[in-house]
Amino acid sequence: MRKCTSRGNPFLATAALITALLAASCLPTPPGESGDITITLYGFSIMKESLEKAIFPGFTAKWKQDHGQTVQFQSSFAGSETVTNQILRGAPAEIAILSIERDVQRLQKDGFVTADWHSLPGNGIVNKTPFVIIVRQGNPKGIHDFSDLAKPGIRLIHPDPISSGGAQWSILAIYGSELMKSATKPEDADKPKALQTLRAIWKNVISTPGSAREARTTFELGNGDALITYELEALLMKEAKAPIEVVVPQSTIFSEHPAVVIDKNISAAKRPVIDAFMQYLWSDEAQQAFVKFHFYSSTNDAFNQANKDFGHIEMPFTIEYFHGWDKAYPEVIEGIFRDQVQRK
Amino acid sequence: MSSIVPAMRHVRGFDVARPLSIGMLVFMMLPLVFLPLASIFIFGTSNGLDKFWAALTAPEAIFALKLSMATSFWATVFNVIFGLFAAYVLSRYNFWGRNALIVTISLPTAIPTAVAGFALLLLWGPYGTLGRLLAPHGFQIMFTAWAIILANIFVTFPLAFGVIKPVFDTMSHSLEEASATIGATRWQTFWHVTLPSLRGAIVSGALLTFARAVGEFGSTILVSGNLAGRTQTAPLYIFAKFNEGQIEAANAIAIVLALFSFLIFSVLFFARDWLDVD
Amino acid sequence: MAKAKETLIPRMEEPVSSAPPSTAAASVVGISKRFGKASVLENISFDVGEGEVLVLLGASGSGKTTILRIIAGLEMPYTGKVILHGKDVTELPARERGVGVIFQSYALFPKMTVEKNIGYGLRIRKRKRKEIKETVNELLSLVQLEEHRKKYPSQLSGGQQQRVAIARTLAYKPEVLLFDEPFGALDTQTRVHLRREIRTLLKKVNVPSIFITHDQEEALELGDRVAVLNVGHIEQIGTPFEIYNHPATEYVATFLGAANVLDAVVRQDFIEVGSAKIPLTVDKEKFKPGDCVKIVFRPEDVSLQRGDLMRSGHARLASAIIEEIAFVGAYERVRLQIEAGDGCKTDETRFLLTTETPDRKPSKSIIATRPKPEASATRLHVGERVVVALTSFTVLPPQGSKGAN
Repeated sequence: MRKCTSRGNPFLATAALITALLAASCLPTPPGESGDITITLYGFSIMKESLEKAIFPGFTAKWKQDHGQTVQFQSSFAGSETVTNQILRGAPAEIAILSIERDVQRLQKDGFVTADWHSLPGNGIVNKTPFVIIVRQGNPKGIHDFSDLAKPGIRLIHPDPISSGGAQWSILAIYGSELMKSATKPEDADKPKALQTLRAIWKNVISTPGSAREARTTFELGNGDALITYELEALLMKEAKAPIEVVVPQSTIFSEHPAVVIDKNISAAKRPVIDAFMQYLWSDEAQQAFVKFHFYSSTNDAFNQANKDFGHIEMPFTIEYFHGWDKAYPEVIEGIFRDQVQRK
Repeated sequence: MSSIVPAMRHVRGFDVARPLSIGMLVFMMLPLVFLPLASIFIFGTSNGLDKFWAALTAPEAIFALKLSMATSFWATVFNVIFGLFAAYVLSRYNFWGRNALIVTISLPTAIPTAVAGFALLLLWGPYGTLGRLLAPHGFQIMFTAWAIILANIFVTFPLAFGVIKPVFDTMSHSLEEASATIGATRWQTFWHVTLPSLRGAIVSGALLTFARAVGEFGSTILVSGNLAGRTQTAPLYIFAKFNEGQIEAANAIAIVLALFSFLIFSVLFFARDWLDVD
Repeated sequence: MAKAKETLIPRMEEPVSSAPPSTAAASVVGISKRFGKASVLENISFDVGEGEVLVLLGASGSGKTTILRIIAGLEMPYTGKVILHGKDVTELPARERGVGVIFQSYALFPKMTVEKNIGYGLRIRKRKRKEIKETVNELLSLVQLEEHRKKYPSQLSGGQQQRVAIARTLAYKPEVLLFDEPFGALDTQTRVHLRREIRTLLKKVNVPSIFITHDQEEALELGDRVAVLNVGHIEQIGTPFEIYNHPATEYVATFLGAANVLDAVVRQDFIEVGSAKIPLTVDKEKFKPGDCVKIVFRPEDVSLQRGDLMRSGHARLASAIIEEIAFVGAYERVRLQIEAGDGCKTDETRFLLTTETPDRKPSKSIIATRPKPEASATRLHVGERVVVALTSFTVLPPQGSKGAN
């Protein structure tokens, strides 16, 4: 039985590999300077840029100036429902910015949010954005409103309502816009027609990614003819010179995004800086920054004039049209969408 | 043994089955394996090498790679040592429930990784069955790097064991008996006689475990908290970048991971003679 | 130790007394072993003297491997003791007994070189490096494997591996060497060559050794004494000469080589075998006139001749017809049919035989061998009638219990 005469070589290679692995065995330290204070913020998917590029640095500078301490932010972003679930499971979030109020209610229910978040400025809403339709450059399929999405042969990307808050806004946008077009008060509106439109549109959905941001990426990679999403996403894409067009529907909903403190995860020592940050979110500086990133300010309409890219919406409405999330969720999301559209 | 056993001659003259079979093999692998792999490489560098390099050297990317290496390393160390121990006990001792144990050890591979992550959260999370007992004392391992190591251990549990146990089973008892009659204690026999024979299995088991752990996603995304620059491993980083639309950055790290796995399996292949048990 | 005189020719010079020296190097006393209800070994006792080679000879299943493993400490006996150089080691684990075992597969450590294998025993005893080196060198030259010292076991031949296995045990000066069918895996030629080498080596190092084997030729050549095992008990222990020429039981006789067994009756001053009456003095304590016995003789103890005139030292057995002649190289093997005689049947069986088969006379085949010179000198043919004479035979009691030896 011959033995491999070059016994040395494979041994050396393996030894080298193992040494290299050993060198990698130490847990790495996080990059960037380690600050004196760390704030952990979990946000829904589209909040990432505005927070990381403008809000965090802005607050860090301010706090340093006022108190001389360095604040560092840790953040994690995913679909709004996913973020909420993570927090419920114990993710160490100290602040959460979510897409839908219902998610805040879920956190309140389990005792994660104890303070009255409505007492925060702007009723707890940090910014808002209307829902629009994104189509390919040149609008080859001739889409001008939600109802056009019901045309046969249209391939629609729509986030998954189970994990994405934006998906739920989108459904409300579609349904609500149809109702709005028929009457101003929901009680008088043509419900069956709206339901039919919603059904027809949903038949054209070819993919339901987990968050609004994921849906955008899928669309960018060339899937689908149209995407319903937050206007700010559309504007960010245009900024990046993506070959798209934004279709502003005649009537659409403004999504309103709550920011809350996760009281359960805050230590008393951290309270001051957390509260300061929350206040900062509604400061003029922050609100103007949001506008730059294509969000509508929730405090001052005047700021919104600064952004020339905002589309003009003829008949805007908010969740109030449905009498708040407490009614909208069971009636529309569950009653109409889940029971009559999805299940049929 | 991966040496070639030449095919028997079935026909006179030129055998068309040979090029046909080889061609078919390559042809089938093209869309299934080659092209997807190639597209990662092509796409990752299509935007120019400077962007590729920038994506690679981003601090969060480097952190993610280092974190993946470190967590996989410790998970591997644990699983190899445990695999050795378990293989020894299950191979040498017979007891009631032995077969059930062997099956249980192999279970983690059958469980979807997301289920594994979720199960760990349910157990160790701050509101989990056991976690809630530890939380008041300040012990919280979920959403930290330790959670990633724990999840990796679970998911790769049977890999090293599966490679080491067959060697134990087929190891001749007379080697151990000989060592005993010569006068060695149990520990001396294990160290001088048993372990060297296991060398190959240990190395290949370790490399397998490591490669698998580096690529782990489903459980990590649940237990780590996915905090960029803190608990985000390389696969999580790729996924996050993809979601943000930063495809090049995602691809850059994907290429690194792919190259790394390629390296591991090349070592396993070329060193296989040395790794084989005599 | 009665020396019964059943042979007609004067006894050949025998080797020194078959009793081992009084201070045995190793002894096994009253060992028995069970597997469940089945008894594998029963009341095994024997001694091995200093520098002696004892062979345990038996068929598979006779329990010889079990005895070896019990002595080594790899298995525990049900009853009995194992004593090595005066020390009772029965309760000690294998590791503490100081035995050297050469396994059938040699069990060399595959990942260690020859040197490292040999030095293993000293390494684990934490001896100094210098001492280990010296001992290893000594042993390498003893077994003549110096130029192979850096090789791995897989690179060695079977015979070389065996030598390494032996050297490995000698390194720590064992109390006794135990060889488990060491020649099993080798071809005949190597086997013969090796067993001579091993015997020389063992005599040189003067360590008491126990071999187990199923090969009777090996046992006879290798052992100073041989113990024949039959299904868990010892039939006979003696020198090769003794057990071959004076087997105590029929089993020993037939196991050690071809043997012819015939019924006989002891009479006053002679023994009746068939129609032959051979003058014989038997041990009066063992046999009485009228006792039914068997006689055993080897093919080489048979002499075939044409006439009835008996030479000195030959006893006439019977007249026989040649059934078959086979040429086996160094000798000629002849099968003959002789009248067996009634032997020792009870009246009842005698009656049955005569009534049921009135005309048939009982006959038996015996084997004889004729060395080449004799075969060439006197050519015999199948069908010829010749006279069968014996030069030697042994008397056994018919039940196979210990015979007169």
